[in-house]
Amino acid sequence: MRLPDSQLAVLEAASATDPTAVDRLADETDLDPAAVTRAAFDLRDEGLVTVDETTDTSAELTEEAHEYLDDGLPEVRLYKAAIEAGADDKPVSMGQLIGASGLGGPQVDIALSNFARKGYGSIDSGEVTADPDADPDSDPEASALETLAAGEPVDDTDLLDQLERRELVEQSERTVRKVTLTEKAVTALMEGIEAAETVDRLTPEMLTSGDWQDVEFAEYNVAADAPSVEGGRKHILRQTADRVKDVLVGMGFDEMEGPHADADFWINDCLFMPQDHPARTHWDRFALDVPPIQELPDQLVDRVESAHREGVGEDGEGYHSPWSRDFAEAVALRGHTTSLSMRYLSGFAGADIEPPQRYFSVEKVYRNDTLDPTHLLEFFQIEGWVMAEDLSVRDLMGTFEEFYNQFGITDIQFKPHYNPYTEPSFELFGTHPTTGELVEIGNSGMFRPEVLEPLGIECDVMAWGLALERLLMLMYGFEDIRDVHGTLCDLELLRETEVVY
Amino acid sequence: MPVVDVDPDELRELTAHDEKSDDELKDDLFNLGLEYEGETEEGMMQLEFAPDRLDRLSVEGVARSLRYQYGDDRGLYVPDTNDADWTFHVDESVPDERPYVTGAIVRDVNLSEDALDSLIQLQEKLHATMGRKRAKAAIGIHDLTMVKGQAYDADEGGPSITYRGVDPEGDSFVPLDADEEMTPAEVLDRHETGTTYADLLDGFDRYPAIYDQLGLFSFPPVINGRRTEVEAESRDLLIELTGTDQWTIDHICNVICYALSARGGTIEDVDIEYDDAKGADDEYGPNLVRPDFSVRTKHLSHDRIETVLGVDLDQHTVLDLFERSGLSASVDDSADADGTVYEVEIPPYRVDVLHPMDLIDDLGRAYGFNELEPRYPDVGTVGGRHERTRLEDAARASLVGLGFEDLLNFHIISGEANYDRLGIEPGTDVVGAGDPVEITGPYSEDYTQLRSWVLPSLLLVLENNTHRAYPQELAEIGLAAEVDESENTNVAEWRSIGAVIARHDATYEDAKARLAALCADFDATLETPATEHPSFINGRVADVVVDGDTVGVIGEIHPQVLVNHDLELPVAAFELRLDALQ
Repeated sequence: MRLPDSQLAVLEAASATDPTAVDRLADETDLDPAAVTRAAFDLRDEGLVTVDETTDTSAELTEEAHEYLDDGLPEVRLYKAAIEAGADDKPVSMGQLIGASGLGGPQVDIALSNFARKGYGSIDSGEVTADPDADPDSDPEASALETLAAGEPVDDTDLLDQLERRELVEQSERTVRKVTLTEKAVTALMEGIEAAETVDRLTPEMLTSGDWQDVEFAEYNVAADAPSVEGGRKHILRQTADRVKDVLVGMGFDEMEGPHADADFWINDCLFMPQDHPARTHWDRFALDVPPIQELPDQLVDRVESAHREGVGEDGEGYHSPWSRDFAEAVALRGHTTSLSMRYLSGFAGADIEPPQRYFSVEKVYRNDTLDPTHLLEFFQIEGWVMAEDLSVRDLMGTFEEFYNQFGITDIQFKPHYNPYTEPSFELFGTHPTTGELVEIGNSGMFRPEVLEPLGIECDVMAWGLALERLLMLMYGFEDIRDVHGTLCDLELLRETEVVY
Repeated sequence: MPVVDVDPDELRELTAHDEKSDDELKDDLFNLGLEYEGETEEGMMQLEFAPDRLDRLSVEGVARSLRYQYGDDRGLYVPDTNDADWTFHVDESVPDERPYVTGAIVRDVNLSEDALDSLIQLQEKLHATMGRKRAKAAIGIHDLTMVKGQAYDADEGGPSITYRGVDPEGDSFVPLDADEEMTPAEVLDRHETGTTYADLLDGFDRYPAIYDQLGLFSFPPVINGRRTEVEAESRDLLIELTGTDQWTIDHICNVICYALSARGGTIEDVDIEYDDAKGADDEYGPNLVRPDFSVRTKHLSHDRIETVLGVDLDQHTVLDLFERSGLSASVDDSADADGTVYEVEIPPYRVDVLHPMDLIDDLGRAYGFNELEPRYPDVGTVGGRHERTRLEDAARASLVGLGFEDLLNFHIISGEANYDRLGIEPGTDVVGAGDPVEITGPYSEDYTQLRSWVLPSLLLVLENNTHRAYPQELAEIGLAAEVDESENTNVAEWRSIGAVIARHDATYEDAKARLAALCADFDATLETPATEHPSFINGRVADVVVDGDTVGVIGEIHPQVLVNHDLELPVAAFELRLDALQ
């Protein structure tokens, strides 16, 4: 018979009559316990040993217990002080006893609660009475601590549990394996077993010398767990944004880019949002403490102001709201990335734009909201628009059906809606892929003439917006967006979330 | 968005459609743009709707829209009005900040507790929306029998009330929900409604007030007097609105008149007479008859309707759809012969129609937008990514390859987290210490400015995750900003790369090795000359110099900074501008 070194060593160290613990075998063979265990199981599979497993409970004293070993249990100290002060005769004030016993800090509470529990006496309205018949010298908890300190076992499990509740001992369980030779092993040992040369690692030398041909490789427990490794990974919300961008680029959309802090002109006035609109008040808007923007395109500003005051076209009417250039020049964090669409459509972001065009962005917007599981002060908005001659509501619907279909959301419903900047407008509803509920998944519409005419656009533009976080939560089923996005994020959640592709 | 509570039984009654189940009603309402949100304890439907059709802020208006949708009502409807008996005088003492008034008399209204609740809800929702929380328009509705019209001028005879200014400590009256007489100033000081709306009168020398022969009975925009309170038994009502814009209050008045007309009320005009010395709205002049039920017209071409809806329609269908939207339309023969043009009449309760495009939306709703077959537009364009985001993604891929977990933090942070806890002062000459872009009047002290660098965010993540497994090697590429008046927006924005390595044996060398690998990916030449930075340990901090430009900082985080973030192990870190890798 030929066996690997380690197995042979274990076999030789084990006995047929006396079950030997793995730890002892490890000492005797100079192997580490994991290697002995592995060898023992391999030998068992060959029918050469039996392996018996038992669970061993051990109790370790805590630091607090070691203190009590020196000083005595707090309740015992209290009792002794009470007897000394004559509390077995008549009640003595607690304050006096605590002073006399030298107890301090949390020990006072510990002493009082255990004093009563163990029947050393009673405490009533701050007066302590001691029971003269109590025998603290034979306190079972104290003697159990001493036994454990001497390295002897304590068999009373109730007592151990009580000490664990007092945080004086920590109990732990471990599996103890004992190995015994079988008759087959004894026979084989008598007949003689040859040691096969096994190697642990393949080395560069073995490869160059050719020695690898003469060795046997130690077998690993290939089913065992390996230490865990955390690789880097892209943030889950970025991954979702990437998917959205891939889909949109595939649908012919080009990406926009522009400032987060911008003039209210680009954020709101160009969008035909009246200056007294609730979304433009302090309550919703992040105004910034920086000087107003001086360089706005004057002619465009005039045309936008005229649209607000007079409307556009022969039958057009304006808003009956105040309008001032000062407000238009004020700088705020953008509440939507439609500010980028305005910069692009006006030609301010670069070249003049001729139809047909498709543009998008997946960028951050800011809302002065209260942080809660579904609302953040800043989130990603997916913004897209299509510019062409004679676009219809049906084109808008077809575009969005195609987009959402890419994310498994079908059966889009279009609820007629109102936005100051689009007409007709629709809220988009879709069926949640897992719960089957009808959920809002976006807002869309055709830009109004009051938006397009001042920008000099003579064809149609349809646009839509959607919070990326909303899509994320639909795709992953997260319940609290704060775990994912922002400094309150949970690294474990980010590390463990399944990759979606 | 506003939510209106509507009793489904009342809806069935007012539409005369008893057979409609709640679910059928919900579907019909969805098509109108009213989303069912849930139910109140009393079984009222809570409907969420967008704030354009203010005429639908009450059950009466919702029922009117449904009747049009069902085809029970057709075309434009304008209630008849009786001639004016009452006059509203505007005295020259009226505060300049709130000069306009309008109103109407409504007689023989069939009120009940439910109808009164609906009226109060309508009033509140109109205040909240078009009234801009009463700043732009405030509504007062009074029991007419309790108003004693004084003869303003002996020659004129008819009863009248006067809109005027009052000294804050001038006359007193008993406001609603109170048992004692108060002056306007006292109302603002200690009446619950008064304290809520006191801000609206900040800086007024005189407060707006409405008087009859017995004295002050309404204190707009704050509260009415108790004397004229409307009860379920009230039959004749006086409606007054005050505000900062005549058009706005006139149209809100129309919405209320239509709702009361639906409750059987007869509308009676009032004469409004502005004082000569007081600037009435130029567009309307000093003498008005209200409510203003004049019908506006707009023109719309058949072609435009077809291209926007994307369907072919015949004239008859279009005219029918107009009628089912509560509009009246006729083919305009005077127009040039270039296709059919409709002249459309718009009822006086519609405040949302600014452009003919708004009428196409009405047609679409009447047609049923969900009846339209979606089609993918036959428009060819070439898609692509912006160069900046491509660079950002490439750098992120490198960082992830180097083992960093990619993070995504808020751009808004507190000054304390951005500067103080990192040991730096705004406006000093070290990385991260640029002038803050601060939010005006922030709500939360945790979110007061844009971050001027990324490392503070990453340190906050480390601080919030000390219970999670180490090592924690985190990186983020994100926005940072500072005040810079040479920029168009006066704010300089850039993308910054931040990275931290937190583990028991993290050193400068670990950070440097990764930074060097990142730069190598982009063929950028990296140098790290020694520097000083209060966030890092002296002697273990360097400038990040890429292709000759100083673009960031690298080093071991200072122990004081670690302690400030409750961290118990060393952190090596670097930060640099993304555009350095271009």
